[in-house]
Amino acid sequence: MTLLLIAALFLPLFPLSFVFNGALAQLRHPAARSALLLLWPQIGVGLLQFAPQPVPQYFVPWALLTAGVYALRLLTVRDMGRWAGFVATSGLALAWALASGGPDIADLHLFAFWFSVPPALMALLAAPLTRRFGAAYAGLQGGLMGCLPRMSGVLAVTVLAAVATPPFPGFFALLRLLRALDWAGAVGGLAIWLVWGWAGTKLLQGFIFGADHAHSVRDIGRASTLAYTGVLGAFVAAGLYLTGGGL
Amino acid sequence: MDKLTALLPATPLLSAFLITLLADGSRRRIARLSVGFSALTFLLAAASLALYVVEREPQWVSFNSGWGSLYLDPLTSVMALMVAGISFVVHVYSVRYMAEEPGYARFYILLDLMSAAILLMVAAGDLVTLLVAWHLVGVLLYFLLGHDAARPAAQRYAFWTFFTYRLGDLPLVLAAVLLYQAYGTLALPTLFERIASAPQAPTVLGLPLPTLVALLVALGAFARSAQFPLHTWLPYTMEGPTPVSALMHAGVVNAGGFIINRFAPVFVHAGGVLHLVFAVGLVTAILGSILMLTQNDIKKSLGYSTMGQMGFMFVECGVGAFSLAIYHLIAHGLFKGTLFLGAGSVIGNARKHDGVPHDDVYTFVVERKPVASRLPWVVAAVITVVVPFVVLGLSRWLVGGNFVGEQGAIILLFFGWVTGAQLLFATYRLRVDSPWRLMAMIILSLVIVVAGYTLIERGFDLFLYPDRVLSGQIYAAASIPLATFEVLVAILTAAIVVGWLVTYYAAANGRAGGRKASPLRLALYSLITREFYVADVYAWLTQATLGLSRRLNVWLRWV
Repeated sequence: MTLLLIAALFLPLFPLSFVFNGALAQLRHPAARSALLLLWPQIGVGLLQFAPQPVPQYFVPWALLTAGVYALRLLTVRDMGRWAGFVATSGLALAWALASGGPDIADLHLFAFWFSVPPALMALLAAPLTRRFGAAYAGLQGGLMGCLPRMSGVLAVTVLAAVATPPFPGFFALLRLLRALDWAGAVGGLAIWLVWGWAGTKLLQGFIFGADHAHSVRDIGRASTLAYTGVLGAFVAAGLYLTGGGL
Repeated sequence: MDKLTALLPATPLLSAFLITLLADGSRRRIARLSVGFSALTFLLAAASLALYVVEREPQWVSFNSGWGSLYLDPLTSVMALMVAGISFVVHVYSVRYMAEEPGYARFYILLDLMSAAILLMVAAGDLVTLLVAWHLVGVLLYFLLGHDAARPAAQRYAFWTFFTYRLGDLPLVLAAVLLYQAYGTLALPTLFERIASAPQAPTVLGLPLPTLVALLVALGAFARSAQFPLHTWLPYTMEGPTPVSALMHAGVVNAGGFIINRFAPVFVHAGGVLHLVFAVGLVTAILGSILMLTQNDIKKSLGYSTMGQMGFMFVECGVGAFSLAIYHLIAHGLFKGTLFLGAGSVIGNARKHDGVPHDDVYTFVVERKPVASRLPWVVAAVITVVVPFVVLGLSRWLVGGNFVGEQGAIILLFFGWVTGAQLLFATYRLRVDSPWRLMAMIILSLVIVVAGYTLIERGFDLFLYPDRVLSGQIYAAASIPLATFEVLVAILTAAIVVGWLVTYYAAANGRAGGRKASPLRLALYSLITREFYVADVYAWLTQATLGLSRRLNVWLRWV
C-alpha cells in the first residue's frame, strides 16, 4: 500500500497532486518543466509494476474525482504553465482507473505518455510568450491570431492535443479507458472530457482570439514552427500506430 | 469504386495541405487551388454515386486492421454528393466574399478540412472512424465560426456551438464503447449483422442494448441537429462568415438525420426511442417555427427556420420514414444554402425598396387597376380542407398502394395536409383581380409538387433502402397500438377541419388580429421573445460552474 501511495505522488492523486503541481510551479526553466511533465508520471508507472498488490478498486473513484476536480479547476486557470500542470494532473490521474483493470505495464507507460506530451509542449510554448509579453497569461494580451499567426496555430493545435481531441492519441487512450470502466465510471470519464474541451476553448479565447493590440511583436520563427509541427505530427502518427484506435 | 471512396475525403485534405504550404502565396492562387480541388471532389462524389448505381453492391474498404475503414452504400453515396456539391458552391462563393477578410488562407484550409471531415463522417465504415470524423466536424466548425478573431460575439457563439457539439459527442462515444464491448467488432456492416442476429441478447442497466444505443445515438443527433432544448447555438451562429453559415445550415446541421439513418438497423429494435425522436422533433418544429416568426433579423430568422426544419426531419425519423428524412435534409440543404448565400442581396434590395404593398385606393386611383377581391370564405374553406387531402391521398395511393397500413405514412400525410391548407389559406388572403384563376393555378401547382414529390420520394426510398424488409421493420418499430392511433387520427382530423373553418370565418369577418392583446398573450409573447429563457438557464449554469471552479482554486491555493 505504501508503494501505491508513493506512486500516487508521481501519478498524481488528490491531495498528493499538490506535490507535482507545487514542483512545477517552483521550476522556472521551461525545459525543466517540460522534462518534469514527461518523466514524473513515468516514475509513477514504473513504481506500480513493483507494487506487491493490484490496484484496489476504490482507486477508480479516487482517480475520477482527482481528474474531475482538476478539470473543473482548469476552467478558471489563466496562467499557461499552471494550466499545463492541471491538465496533466487531470489526465494522468485517469491512469489509475486503467491500472485497476490490470493492463500491461507498457500500456500504462503509453497512457501516461499520451497525456504528458501536450502539457510538456505547452510548458515550452509558455516561454516565448513570457519573453514577449512578460507572462503567458490568458486574456493579458489576446488577439495573437492577428500578430503571431504561427504561434497561435501551434498553440491551438497543442491545446487540442491536450484536451484529447481526435486524432491525437489522448482521444484513443480515453476510448481505451472507457472500455475498461463500468457504466458509471465511463459517464464520469466522458464528463471530464467535456470539461477539458470547455477549458481548452476558454484558454484559446484568452490567447489567440480577441482584438490584436501587439502589432510590433515578432512571431516565432519558421524553424520553431516546423519543430513544433513535426513533434505534433509524430505524436499523432505514433498514436495512430500504437493505440490501434483505442477500442 | 473503393479507390474513389478513399479519394473523397483525401482530396480536400490534400488541398488543405497544399494551401498550408502556399500560405504566403497570392489570394488568387489559394482560391484557385481550393476551388479546383473542391470541384474535383464534387466530380469524384458524382462518379462514386454513378458507379454505385451501376454496381448496386455496398463496399467496405479497410486500410488498417482495427479502424480507418470506409463504407460505400446508398446513404454514403447520396450524402457525399450533397456535401461535395454544397461545399463546392460555398468555395466559389467565398472567393469574393472573403476577399477583404484577414486570414484568407486559413479560411480555405479550414473549409477544406471541414469538407474532408464531413465526407469522412458520411463514408465512415467503423465506429472509431465515425467518432473521429464526427468530433472533428465540431472542432473545425468552432474555428470557422470564430474566423473573425476580433469579434467577441463570434467567439462566444462559436464556443456555444463547440460545447453543445461536444455534449452531443458524449452519448455517441458511450454508444460506440457499449457496442464494441457487446458485439466485439468495430466494422459497421459486421456490427449490424450481429445485432440483427442477436438483437436482445446483451442488456445494460436492465435495458436491451440496442434500445440503449439507439437512445444514445438519438441524444447525439439531438445536439448536432439543434433539437430542443439543445438548440440555442444554432440561431446565434450567424456571427460567423456567411459562407460558413450556409455550409452549416445546409450541411453540418443535418448530421443528426444522417446518424439516425446510419444506425437504422439498431433503431428497428428500439420503437420507444423512435417515439421519443418523434416527440422531440415535433416540439422542436413547433418552437422553431414560433421563434422564427418573432425575429426581425433575416439571418436569425433563417436560423430558427432551420431549427424548425430539423424538427420536421426528426418527426420523419420518428414515424419510421428514414429515407424521407434524408430526402428532406437534401432538399432543405439546397434551399437553405441558397437563402443564406442570397441573404445579402435581399438586405441590399430591402434598402432600396420598402416592399410595402399599396392599398386599394392607391391601386384603383393611381395605378388604375380594378379593386381586388377574394373567394367566398365558405368555398375557400372547403377547398382548403378537401383539396390537399384528396391530392395527397391520391398521389400516395398511386405510388404506394397499401399506405393506409403504414402509420408513419398517414402521419406524414397529415403534415402535408396542414402545409397544403396553409398554402391555400395564404392564397385566399390575397386580394387579386381574379381569385378563381389564382386558386386554380395554385391547386394545379400543388398537384404537380405533391405528385412529383411523392414519386421522387418513393424512388429515393427504394434506392436508399433496397432491403424492403428493413424498411418495413423501421415502420413497424415506429408504430403505436392501432386503437390509440385511430383515436389520434380522428382527433387530429376534427381539429384540422374545425380549426380551418374557424380561421376562415374569423378572417372573412375581420376578427383576426383585431382584439386588444390580453395579459396572457403579452406574457406569451414575452416568453417567445426571450426564447423561452433556455439560453438564460444555460448562462446561469455556466456562471455557477465557473464560480465553483474559482472557489476551488482559491481554497486549494492554485496547486
